[in-house]
Formats: sequence, structure tokens, C-alpha cells
Amino acid sequence: MLYNLKIEWLKIKNYRTFWILAGLFVISIFGINYIGFAIEQETMKKAPEAGMILGTSRFLFPDVWGTIAYLSSFLLFIPGLLMIISITNEYSFKTHRQNIIDGWSRLDFIYVKLADAVILALGSTLIMFLAAFGFGISSGGFSSLSFSGSQYVFYFFMQALSYILIALLFGVLFKRSGIALGVFFLYAVVIENMAAGLLNRYAGGIGAYLPLESTDNLIPFPFLKNVVDQVVKRPDTTYLLIAASIYLVFYFWICKRRFQTDDL
Amino acid sequence: MDVLAVKGITKYYGKICALNNVSFSIPQGSVYGILGPNGSGKTTLLGIIMNILRQNSGTFELFGELPVSHVRRRIGTLLETPNFYHYLSGEKNLQIAAAIKQKGAGDIDKVLKMVNLDDRRQSKFSTYSLGMKQRLAIASCLLGDPEVLVFDEPTNGLDPVGISEIRELIISLAKQGKTIIMASHLLDEVEKVCSHVAILKYGNLLTAGKADEVLVNEDIVEISAKDLDQLEHLLNTFQGVSQVKRLEHVIQAVFPPGKADTEEVNRFCIDHGLLLNHLILKKKSLEALFLEITKN
Repeated sequence: MLYNLKIEWLKIKNYRTFWILAGLFVISIFGINYIGFAIEQETMKKAPEAGMILGTSRFLFPDVWGTIAYLSSFLLFIPGLLMIISITNEYSFKTHRQNIIDGWSRLDFIYVKLADAVILALGSTLIMFLAAFGFGISSGGFSSLSFSGSQYVFYFFMQALSYILIALLFGVLFKRSGIALGVFFLYAVVIENMAAGLLNRYAGGIGAYLPLESTDNLIPFPFLKNVVDQVVKRPDTTYLLIAASIYLVFYFWICKRRFQTDDL
Repeated sequence: MDVLAVKGITKYYGKICALNNVSFSIPQGSVYGILGPNGSGKTTLLGIIMNILRQNSGTFELFGELPVSHVRRRIGTLLETPNFYHYLSGEKNLQIAAAIKQKGAGDIDKVLKMVNLDDRRQSKFSTYSLGMKQRLAIASCLLGDPEVLVFDEPTNGLDPVGISEIRELIISLAKQGKTIIMASHLLDEVEKVCSHVAILKYGNLLTAGKADEVLVNEDIVEISAKDLDQLEHLLNTFQGVSQVKRLEHVIQAVFPPGKADTEEVNRFCIDHGLLLNHLILKKKSLEALFLEITKN
């Protein structure tokens, strides 16, 4: 597997589109969190009485892990996009065929794509971790460093993996980048949110367990915690993690089956 | 030993039968031409052997064993189109191919020179012309010096010089004892290099075997005289003639391969008081032969 990953590295090492998008992702992570940070600072300064509701800054340890995880998660469509590009490129160049002609098995191919997905999720998580670390230190200093609340780093990893694997699934199912990207965005941004809203309203909260919702809900809205906690009943984290894991296995199982049995 | 043995392979695309119970085998060291018109199933057959298409029934063996992925590393294959990463240079694409084959990384310089692509090795694949893409694909096949080469329409997109270079290359590879499996609809190409042929049409294997046995090429003697009626009548009595055909201005006497003797025909006619004004020995064109085999 490590050997095959090196081959994947050869594929992307000189692929400029990939690195530009990855670079934008890193910049955006810091950007979106800085916007959150700036808004909070501004609010506290202009209306000190709001501090009653806001509580202490959400950018101090230990809360910063959850805050950064939440804000960063809005950008997880970018690693999803990278995954879709990486798989649909193979289809459009027909290199998925050539890799197999040259001696990979079909399983080699799909397993290394799974490994790509995990690495991409780990990379995204690392950036989020560094952002949380940086914002936490700069808000409260080194002495305030605390890893309590860092379970959100793991939840963010689950969320990233969930977005990336669903992107891989759409890539494998639709093969062409245009349609795969379209369906991915439509699903992630519109369809699932609508379905979740309807299900939550009419079917007793099961909307929270839809594929992407199940990981979205792992990380709660970090601001106005005092108020939100009293109003909103949060779905159980354990059940969310179980649901998310089942979905992850299911996505990969479909990809694998599809790639093994189809004409390529 | 057979390099490849195909046993009863059938493949459907929906309702369309692309291959119908095809069986044949390819002996080691042969240059095996798979012939057929467009859409006859040549690429489908090679795709199944390369495990990128799934057959509905039937099996095949490579090197005498049921196929597993690493066996494909012993075969250099160009299937249908050159498949490379557009954003990478020719050289980097070959590095990927060599890494997957797990051999041939040291051959990259050599194979690029063999296909005259050395000076463009650093250019992106997307900037290559069709002929250059095809050359790169052939270079990729040669990585690691494989025992067997599969070429699907190898001269596609090449200019006349390129075509003759690739033909020379194929002949020299065959001389080195490599087995070459070549699908083509260019009969000329096949005639010049192949020792064996199989002919496919609408997914049915019409015939397969040694080229000189499958493509039996009869001798045709074209003759004319003032009195064609008399000539036709006379030729029908000539020993060894298998068919006499009357055309507009000439008569064609068909003989089994290599059996026509024009001198003998001439003497025969003169002895019977008929002077000839036209006498020529022809081979039936491979094209005509191919059309004959594939018609209905």
C-alpha cells in the first residue's frame, strides 16, 4: 500500500490545480476563523453587556477546539472537491484503465483511492488543529494551552472523512467531473439540509442522522452556548458516531463493489 | 506454450452481443493479428484479457494460468487510446507506468529514444500531437522489456514515416522472439508482419490460425485473346485450373496458391491455335480476400 501511495504521490506532485486548491483551503481555514474571531472581538468591544450572553471568548482554550472545528467545517467541500477531481481525472484520462493494464488489480486501485481519502481527511484535520492551536495560543497565551475539548479534532476528522468519501462515491458513480461536482454540491448544500429540516420537523429529529448531518451535528454551534443549550436538544454523540461510521463503511463498500464488477 | 488461450468468451453490452463464444490460442513467439472491421469486438476482447472489461461467460489463461493482476506486468499493452495524465510530462507519465509495472524505470531514456520522443520528454502530454501520444503509448509498452506486447491499432494517428517506423519496430521485436498480439483493421499492416491471424466479425470468430493457411491467396492468371468465347471454352479444359471467370475484356483463370504457370498456359493456348494478346499473373488482394471472408 505504501508503494502504491508513492505512485499516487507521483500523480499529484506536479498537478498544479490540486496544489492551488489545497493552498486556498489552508488560507480559507485561517480566514474563516479569523472572521469569526474578529466578529466576536468587535461585539465584545462595542457591547460589553453582550458578554453576559456570550460568556467568555470562544477562542480561548478549551473552547477553541470546538469553535475552530465548527467554523472550519464550512470549508470541507474543498477537500471533497479535491477528491472528486482526483478520481474523475482518472476516468477522463482513462488512466484508471491504464493503471490496471499496467499491473494493478482493481482492488489495488480502489484501496489506494480510499487511502488518498483518509490522508486528505488527516491533512485537513491537521490544518484545523494548527488553526485551533494558533488561535488558542494567541488569545490566551501558552500557559492557557489545554487539550480538553480536543475530541472536536477527532469529530472534525470524521466529518472531513465523511465529506471526502461521499465525494469519492459520487466520483465513482458519475465518472464525469461536472456531474459529480454538481450532485456533490447540490446534495451537501441543499438537498440534505432540506431533507434534514423536514425530517427533524415531522419525523422526530431523525434528520440529524442523515449522511452528512450525522457528522455535522458532532460539532455544535459554538457561540451563544448559554442560550442555545437551553433551547436546542442535541442528538446523542455516540449514536451520531455510530451512524457516521456505518455511512463511511457503506460509501466505501459501494465504491469498491462498483469498481470491481463494472466495465471500466 | 500458449501465451494466451481464450476459451468460449461471450460479452454483451446490454442486448448487443460484442463477442460470441470466442475461442483461440496464441502460441509463444508468434505475431498474432486480430483482424476485423470496426465494431467487430477486437478491442472488447483485448479489454477483457486486460481485466478492464468483464465477460459474461468464458475464461482465458495467460501464460498457462488463470489471470491475476501481476501477470499483466509481463505484458506491454496499448489498448485503444494512449491513456496518460494530461498535466504531466511524457517522462513523468512513463515513471508512473514503470512504478506500477515494478520494472523498467531504468528503460525510460531508451524507450523514449526508440520512438523518437526524446526531445519532447519534458513537454506536457496535453501538448503532444496525436502521433506523439501514440508513440508515448508504444514507449510505455516497451518499459521493462516485456515478453508479450499487445498493440491495438498501433499505427493510429501516425504519419507514413511513423507507420513504417512502428512496423519496423514490430518486426524487430518479433525477431527478438517476443510474442506480439496486434489488433488492426489495416490489412496491409497485418499482411506485412503477422505470422498468425484471427478474423472477427460482429463478435464471431470467423477463422483463426497461421497466416498462410487462413489467408490462402489463390493465383489468378488474367488472359485475353481476340476470340474470348473460344478462350473461355479452352481454358475450362486446362489441367489444374479451379475456376474460369469471364470479365468484360479479359478472362481470369483461378489456380490454387502457387500453382499457376503462365508459360504453360501460353503454350497450351498456342498449341490449340489461339494467340494471346494479354497474359498476366495476379495475386488476389488481401482486401478482396478479407471482404470475401467477412461477407455474410
